[in-house]
Amino acid sequence: MEQLINEIKLKLIDALNLDGMTPADIDDHAPLFGDEGLGLDSIDVLELIVLLERNYGIRLANPQEGKKVFQSVAVMADYVAANRTK
Amino acid sequence: MRKVVCIGESILSPLGATPAENFAAVCRGESALQRYEGMFGVREPFVASLMDRGRWTVPGRTFFDSIVIEAAQRAVEAAGIDPASPRTAFVLSTIKGNIEYIDTQDVTLACSARRLADAFGNPNPAVVVSNACISGLAALLQGRRMLLSGRFDHVVVVGAEVQSRFIVTGFQSLKALSEAPCKPFDAARDGLNLGEAAAAIVLGFGESGWELVDGAVRNDANHISGPSRTGEGSYKALRYVLKHTSPEELAFVNVHGTSTLYNDEMEAIAIDRAGLLDVPVNALKGTFGHTMGAAGILESILSMHAVDARIVLPTRGFSELGVSLPVRVSAQAGTTDKRAFVKLLSGFGGVNGALLFRKGGAAC
Amino acid sequence: MLTIKRFASIPCGTDLTALYRATVGDYPKFFKMDTACKLGFLLAEQLADEPRFTPREDRAVLMFSTCGSLCNDRHYEETVREFPSPSLFVYTLPNIITGEIAIRNKYEGETSAYVMERFDPETFVALVEQAFQDSVTASALCGWVDCRADDDYTAFAFLVERGGNGKEFNVDNLYGTVNQ
Repeated sequence: MEQLINEIKLKLIDALNLDGMTPADIDDHAPLFGDEGLGLDSIDVLELIVLLERNYGIRLANPQEGKKVFQSVAVMADYVAANRTK
Repeated sequence: MRKVVCIGESILSPLGATPAENFAAVCRGESALQRYEGMFGVREPFVASLMDRGRWTVPGRTFFDSIVIEAAQRAVEAAGIDPASPRTAFVLSTIKGNIEYIDTQDVTLACSARRLADAFGNPNPAVVVSNACISGLAALLQGRRMLLSGRFDHVVVVGAEVQSRFIVTGFQSLKALSEAPCKPFDAARDGLNLGEAAAAIVLGFGESGWELVDGAVRNDANHISGPSRTGEGSYKALRYVLKHTSPEELAFVNVHGTSTLYNDEMEAIAIDRAGLLDVPVNALKGTFGHTMGAAGILESILSMHAVDARIVLPTRGFSELGVSLPVRVSAQAGTTDKRAFVKLLSGFGGVNGALLFRKGGAAC
Repeated sequence: MLTIKRFASIPCGTDLTALYRATVGDYPKFFKMDTACKLGFLLAEQLADEPRFTPREDRAVLMFSTCGSLCNDRHYEETVREFPSPSLFVYTLPNIITGEIAIRNKYEGETSAYVMERFDPETFVALVEQAFQDSVTASALCGWVDCRADDDYTAFAFLVERGGNGKEFNVDNLYGTVNQ
């Protein structure tokens, strides 16, 4: 799981252009959205949906579903581990 | 100040080739919105209002350039002006123009504008207003400004949009498209439909007819794709044009009404803040879809025809109010004896616009 | 009369990330922008006057180019066949540059984007002057940001105001300022 968490962090940094950040800068359990944590916005949610499909073959039809999955990197990793098709 | 008025107009859409045909189709509650599968090579099916390319494409021209020039030609003829005169200018409103040929051609919007002016032998620099979804409204405002600058006697404002894989996949990636015909301001609305159309208005000076009284563009300064939660820019644009009128004078506000959750709610907030909750509101996206660069011009022309016929057009797709404020959305056609209306639009980049139109002869 | 209050330009070949770090540094959204928006954003930083970040409706943002969003359009098109990128698609509009400047600086006035065949000072000056027909507009950040490719662009902008003590905003002074 630790390896998957690290991998997701790297992909996140790349997909969302989080310049200058390293996996160590992202807390596994910090919220990804809102004013705390990474402060991601609605376009970022959509980009993360693409990230899941491209890398793990997971299709989220509804952005609202994304809000649950993208609570934190740890939650994302659990979801990916349980639902990945590639 | 001299009055800027509309002296010629045209509409090409899936519902008709003249303003009168389109107006009649709207009154009858028609729409060309339908489900497309595999269209433009797009994997996911989508609902859109698309034109007959075979009918409109002129040999040697792209579909987009064909409808731009045809719409301009019809409006120029209706106005009876000299399109080649140095005192005539062309303004083109579009968002993506010929983008479907991005891999093979020069698809800069400026190129299309040049071909438009060249088609009429017009010597002036062709200007494109590309202000996202309010482009058509901004282009009409630009045309008015060019006339008032004293440099021109006539300005031909043409708006057009054609759909493509580029645009459809983009809106799909934003999860902004509805899988059914859209429902502006409705409780069950879940996204927009894209549409194709071309429409043109020739602006000139005059004392009678439809006056483009004034207009304003304002930014939310909030987010590049999400509408303001306070309707900031839309409210400010409305406030600006309301200096020239009062709610009692307005037949209706023809809103953007894309039927995305956030746009329609934002517009309701702006309408409330501007003190317009008692004025009828209607939207035409359930009829034509979102025709992007054409929308401001298409929807303005149909609104003029409605006031001329003393009716408030119905909002196709609307049945149950789904915004937080009691906006008076016209579900069915209504009647009016008022002689003015406001056209309202909003778009990506946080941009919002309002135009005020008034039929000449009414007291100011 | 309109006068030129400030002028800024960014030469082609500038390391935009380095310029951002040297002059701003605390606006991570910068890294999400396409090149045209980065250029517009950095020009606006150079032109910004005090007080900053106070909402104002009297400042317009008017941006001009030949290529519009074409450079980023090509980046988006590359993603279309497999996984269309929403964050690239939102930059496929020529006016997003005006939105980014408005958001950063809380400029709530008019924002407009124009596309022209080439940089034509007469038309540029005329369109800016005409924007001042809006009675609320007291000043405008107006610029030419033409991004042909990520490493091939022209970018300059003026802060123009009603009245003021600067040189008159006309074709001659525009040429003089740009050529300096």
